[in-house]
Amino acid sequence: NPIVLDIAYNSIEFPSLENRM
Amino acid sequence: SLEDLFSSLHSHIQNYEYKQAAKVADQVLAIAPGDEDAVRCKVVALIKSDAIDKTLSAIQAFEGLPIDLRFYKAYCLYRKNKINEALKLLDGLERDPMVLQLESQILYRLGRMGACMESYEKIQKFKIDSLDLKTNIIAALISAG
Ligand SMILES: [K+]
Repeated sequence: NPIVLDIAYNSIEFPSLENRM
Repeated sequence: SLEDLFSSLHSHIQNYEYKQAAKVADQVLAIAPGDEDAVRCKVVALIKSDAIDKTLSAIQAFEGLPIDLRFYKAYCLYRKNKINEALKLLDGLERDPMVLQLESQILYRLGRMGACMESYEKIQKFKIDSLDLKTNIIAALISAG
């Protein structure tokens, strides 16, 4: 089967820290 | 101060220094135990540095906190090829694009191409325009025959 890209990994994001700094 | 630590954490993230980011998140947690931003930063930083076993340990250590880390756990189980366990964890989660993307990858690995295509159809309803997503859809279409 063709290789599937790990798009879930790419979509995992850090929380915004804008109001914590 | 907490603000200084978060500034440092932010700059490590911007510079892709994920191991350092996880360390600073720990420093925040030493001062502010259970801080949700720090918890999420630590988990994501460990995932982004491909420290999957460490991520699972961290998630376990955070288990008593009122923070939903099930998606991250499911992702780690997927990476460890425990795909049935991963799929089961996704069951209770809202079908946002992140969950659907992981679900489609799990279903692909299980060879459930019909269900996999259904996940992709749901993702496309969010109008996500991504070349990587198209690549995966083509892979599923080819595998489905
Ligand atoms: K990866």
